[in-house]
Amino acid sequence: MKETFYDKIFKPKTYTLENGKEVKQRASRVPLIIVLLVIAMYLSFQATDSDLSLIFTRGYQFFVILIAMFPPNFNYISNIWEPLFDTIQMSLLGSVAGAILAIPLALLSSGNVIRNRFVNGLFKFVLSIMRTLPTLIMALIATFVFGLGTMAGTTAIFLFTMSYIGKLMYEHIENVDMGAFEAHESMGLTKIQAFRYAIVPDVLPTYLSVSLYAFEGNIRYAAILGYVGAGGIGLVLDERLGWRDYPSVAMVLLVLMIVVFIIERISEYFRRKLT
Amino acid sequence: MIEFINVNKTYPNGVTALNNINLKIDQGEFVAIIGLSGAGKSTLIRCINRMHDINEGTLNVDDVDVSKLKGKQVRDYRRKIGMIFQSFNLVTRTSVINNVLVSVVPELSWWRKILGLFPKDKKVIALEALDKVGILDKAYNRVDQLSGGQQQRVALARTLAQNPSIILADEPVASLDPVTAKVVMDDFKRINKDLNMSILINIHHVELALEYADRVIGIRKGEVVYDGKSSDVTQDVLDEIYGSITEVPHMDDLEEAKV
Repeated sequence: MKETFYDKIFKPKTYTLENGKEVKQRASRVPLIIVLLVIAMYLSFQATDSDLSLIFTRGYQFFVILIAMFPPNFNYISNIWEPLFDTIQMSLLGSVAGAILAIPLALLSSGNVIRNRFVNGLFKFVLSIMRTLPTLIMALIATFVFGLGTMAGTTAIFLFTMSYIGKLMYEHIENVDMGAFEAHESMGLTKIQAFRYAIVPDVLPTYLSVSLYAFEGNIRYAAILGYVGAGGIGLVLDERLGWRDYPSVAMVLLVLMIVVFIIERISEYFRRKLT
Repeated sequence: MIEFINVNKTYPNGVTALNNINLKIDQGEFVAIIGLSGAGKSTLIRCINRMHDINEGTLNVDDVDVSKLKGKQVRDYRRKIGMIFQSFNLVTRTSVINNVLVSVVPELSWWRKILGLFPKDKKVIALEALDKVGILDKAYNRVDQLSGGQQQRVALARTLAQNPSIILADEPVASLDPVTAKVVMDDFKRINKDLNMSILINIHHVELALEYADRVIGIRKGEVVYDGKSSDVTQDVLDEIYGSITEVPHMDDLEEAKV
């Protein structure tokens, strides 16, 4: 066992067996990690000027708004349907298109499918760059390109979904057991046929499950995209909040919660069936 | 008939896996290949179906020079040779029958290949293969619900559906318990007798090798050190094949690392 600097300060525990053999257990690193975390937290409070006392002096305002939301303005529901369906549409269209286009990207990124380090690296890089851009920013840029409305939101969701599913899928494909692939090659199948019958059945349930999960997450993303003018229910939410029309805000949130809940349930049911 | 004439095989990293191999195996023989891990057993059988290429010498199977085959010829040639693996190498997230049906994929029309739709007569072939190894009732179960022994028999059915003349088996019972191992070995023996398929089996269990095979080939450091009837194998022969305990190879041996 190599003795590190840490081991010199916090001595490892030694167990001695009856026959004189010794086993050393290193002292836990957890205390060190906790100390480092506390320091990091203190520094970030300093850097961001966060004032915890505000929670005590102004925190009650949160409840004031919450109370102002009751009772929700049920008459407002007729104004919600259209943006709500816009939101679901954006998320569905973006998710489906993103999920489909994620397939070639995932294949090009997988080292065990395309045996070219340069190609793999390039597409992995593209996927990670796309994931570093927040969806909201993508939507904002898309509004400059396509103008205000759902097209911008759909594009943002499409790009995000593609990078998200693409990454998860290439990681899965790279970890697939290549045994069945080898067996299929030994039976006289071409590489493409072996891929179709060995890798695809293994990856498909995960792919569908990840796609459904992305879709249910996208409903929530789509709901806020309206803030940057990318259409959908966020637009209404922003407007009502601006007017301090809290009962209507409550109505929007309520409908959104119900829709997200239902879609999550359905998607969860199918995902459980898949694995 | 399989014929090795002065075959040499060296891996790109310089390890010599096969050294001047000369063998003749007739149609319908049941051959056990024994030897230490890393002795070249896997390499030997993988050269037969061109999963590995040989460097020197000639390898003839049914009077075809195997190393001269190219592209589609290799794939057509492989159709005649079944292969069984230690870790079964099945697609676990799909049904048993789908695994067996893979063996007929090259015979399908292009649209069936893409969609994975199999005609009825192919399904009957697959089901008959499953019946031959006694797991017909599991046809529509998912593979990951099956035990190791059952999975190896699915792999055997997959090979049978291919109707090969030779079956190569690379440690087929190494991950099975002793009782299941015997059941699978019985399957091999029955297939060998009933269908007259040649069977070449790499095996670590010497007792099983001697019990089931007609002929034993002992490999040591890439060379054939014994080739004869299984009934003629004595302790001296085994010592010759396996050497003394001090010569046990290390885990960084090529074959060990590959499997």
